[in-house]
Amino acid sequence: MIRFVRSVGSQALERLAGLGRSTVMWATAIWGLPGPGDLVLVLRQIYHVGVLSLIIIVLSAFSIGAVIALQFYTQLSRFGAEDAVGLGLALTLLRELGPVVTALLFAGRAGSAITAEIGLMKATEQLSSMEMMGVDPLHRIVAPRLWAGIISLPLLTAVFNVVAIYGGVVVAVEWLGSDPGAFWSGMRDAVELWDDVGKGMLKSVAFALVVTWIAVFQGYDTEPTAEGIGLATTRTVVLSSVMVLAMDFLLTLSMYGDF
Amino acid sequence: MPEKNLIEIEGLSFKRGDRVIFDGLDMVVRAGQITAIMGPSGTGKTTLLRVIGGQVRPDSGSVRVGGKDVCLMSRGELFELRKDLGMLFQSSALFTDLSVFENVAFPLRVHTDLPEDSIRDLVLMKLNAVGLRGARDLEPSQLSGGMSRRVALARAIALDPSLLMYDEPFTGQDPIALGVLLSLIKNLNQALRTTSLVVSHDVRETLRIADYVYVIADGVVMGQGSPESIASHESDRVQQFIHGSPDGPVPFHYPADDFVYDILEDAAG
Amino acid sequence: MHMRTIEISVGAFVLAGILALVFLAVKVSGISLSADRAGYTLLARFDDVSGLRLRSKVSMAGVTIGRVARIEVDMEYGQAVVTMEIEGDEGGLTADTGAQILTEGVLGARYVNLMPGADEEMLGDGDYITETQGALVLENLIGDLVTRLGA
Repeated sequence: MIRFVRSVGSQALERLAGLGRSTVMWATAIWGLPGPGDLVLVLRQIYHVGVLSLIIIVLSAFSIGAVIALQFYTQLSRFGAEDAVGLGLALTLLRELGPVVTALLFAGRAGSAITAEIGLMKATEQLSSMEMMGVDPLHRIVAPRLWAGIISLPLLTAVFNVVAIYGGVVVAVEWLGSDPGAFWSGMRDAVELWDDVGKGMLKSVAFALVVTWIAVFQGYDTEPTAEGIGLATTRTVVLSSVMVLAMDFLLTLSMYGDF
Repeated sequence: MPEKNLIEIEGLSFKRGDRVIFDGLDMVVRAGQITAIMGPSGTGKTTLLRVIGGQVRPDSGSVRVGGKDVCLMSRGELFELRKDLGMLFQSSALFTDLSVFENVAFPLRVHTDLPEDSIRDLVLMKLNAVGLRGARDLEPSQLSGGMSRRVALARAIALDPSLLMYDEPFTGQDPIALGVLLSLIKNLNQALRTTSLVVSHDVRETLRIADYVYVIADGVVMGQGSPESIASHESDRVQQFIHGSPDGPVPFHYPADDFVYDILEDAAG
Repeated sequence: MHMRTIEISVGAFVLAGILALVFLAVKVSGISLSADRAGYTLLARFDDVSGLRLRSKVSMAGVTIGRVARIEVDMEYGQAVVTMEIEGDEGGLTADTGAQILTEGVLGARYVNLMPGADEEMLGDGDYITETQGALVLENLIGDLVTRLGA
C-alpha cells in the first residue's frame, strides 16, 4: 500500500517537474520572438501544420454538420419546429463543437506530427548538432512551430464552422426540405457576434496554445529512442485531448455561466 | 608545429543522477595534433565532447579552451566559441529537411553574412574536399551511412574551425568507407592546420592516425601516451582494452551466483 | 518543397480562414448593432417580463429595430424597467407607441413588440413608453381559463 502511494506521489512529482520544464521551454522559446528572417520558418510550419490539416478538417466538418443537422431536424420536427435547425446547428457549432472537434483533430494530426518530428530530431542528434553550431534549437525549431499552431488552429476552426454549417444546409435544406429563409434568418437572429462567434474563437485560441505547447514539449523532452518517440506521440494526443475537453468545460462555465 | 595546448581540462567531475561520469579527470589536448580519446562504451566519452563544447556543465573542475574556461562563458562567448568548433556526430545528424548543399551551407548562413555566390563556392569546396561535390542536390534520406558522415564532415569544416571533434566516426562502417574517413581525418587535420579530437572505441583504426592517445575508464584517465607506447602500457585495464581481451579487469561474467548451485537449484526444485 | 508553393498555399490558407471568420460574422450572426451606430434609448415599465433577456429583440411590424440593453426591477412599484437601444435617430416613434412582450415562434424566445400610435409628439432619447402590456405567462392564462370555465 505504501509502495502504491509512493509511486503515485513520485509520478505526481515527475509530472510537476515536467510542467516546470515545459514552462521554461515555453518561456525561452517565446522570449526570442521571431525576427524577419525567422518568418520563413514560421511560414513553413504553418504550411505543415495548418494547410496540411485542411483536408481532414473539411471532411470532418462536412460530415459533422450534416449529421447534427439531421439529428436536430428529426427531433425538432416532432414539435413542428424544423425552422430552428439553422439556429440549433449554428449555436452548437460556434460555441462547442467547432472549437473542440477542430482542436481534437488538430492534436491527432498536427500535434502528433510535431511531437514525432521534434522527437526524431532529438534522437538523431540534430538538435545537439544545431546547438554545437551556435544555433539555439528553441529558437529555430520550437518557436516557429508554437507560432504556427497558435495561428493555424483558430483559422482551422473558422473553416470548420463554415463547412459544417454548409454540411447542415445540404442536409436540412436540399435534402430534407427545410425552408432556407427560416433556416438562415433563425440562425441570424439567434447568433450573436461576440457571444457566440467571438467566444468560440477565444476558446479556439486557448486550445491552440495548449495543444501546441504539449505537442512541442513532448517532442523536445522525449527519450531519444524509437520507443520514446512512440510514447511521446501517444502522450501528446491523449494529454491534448484531455486538456481540451477539461478546458472546454471550464471555459464554457465561465463564458456562458448564468446557470 | 606549435606545441601549445588548445584544451586544458583539470579536475573535471560530473555526476548524472547517481552515476559518476567523471571523477577528477585531467587532460591536455595539444594544438595541431590528432588526439584520440578511447575507452569502453558508456564511460562518458561523448559527454566529454559536450562539456568541451559547452553543452553540458560539469559539477566541478575547469575546462579551458583556447585559454578561456568554457564553464564560465556567457552566451555570446559560447556563440563565438562554436563558430570555431566543428563536430561530427555519431549519427551524422544531418538536418533531414534540408538538402546536402543546404546542410553544408547552414553554418555559413548562421555565422556569416556572405553573399550567395561566396556561400556556393565555399560549399562546393568543402563538398569537394570530402569527395561529394556531385551529391550536392541529394536529400539526406538518399545517402548511405558513409556518405552521410562525409557530408556531416563537410558541414563541420565549413567555417574552417580550429577544433574538430569526432564522435565515434568509425562505428559501423565498411572497410572502404573506413579507409576514406581515416584518410580524410588525417588530411584535413594537416591541410586546415586544426586540432582534431577523435572519440572512439575502434582501437586499430584510431591508433593508425592518432598522434596522442588517452584511455578513459571509470571517470578518470587510465593511461595516456603515443600510439606505440600505449600498446605496451603497464595498466591491466588499458591492456585489456587495447588488445580486446574478453576477460581481465572488466570481467566476462556478469555477477551471478555460483554456477553449480544455480543448476542444482533447478534440479532440486 | 518549393518555397513559392509554400508561400502561396499558406497565403491561401490564411485567406480562407479570414474569409470564414468574416462569413461567420456577417452571414451567420447577422449585422449586429454596434455602439457606433446612431441610436437612442427608450425605457418601458412592465408588470411582468418573464422570459425576456438581455439582447432580446425589439421589433416593430416584424422588423428588428433594437435590442434590450438592461432589465431592472423597480422595488417601489413592483415593476420591471426595461431599457432598449433603438436604431436610428430619435423622433421616429410617436409618444403613444405601445410596447408588448410577445413570444416568437415555437421555441418561445421573448421579444418586445412596438406598435405605432397616432400622437403628434415623438419619443426622444431616454423617454418612457407608457402603453405597455406584460408577458403572457402560461400558468396565469390557464388559471384564468379554469376560473372562467368554472364560473
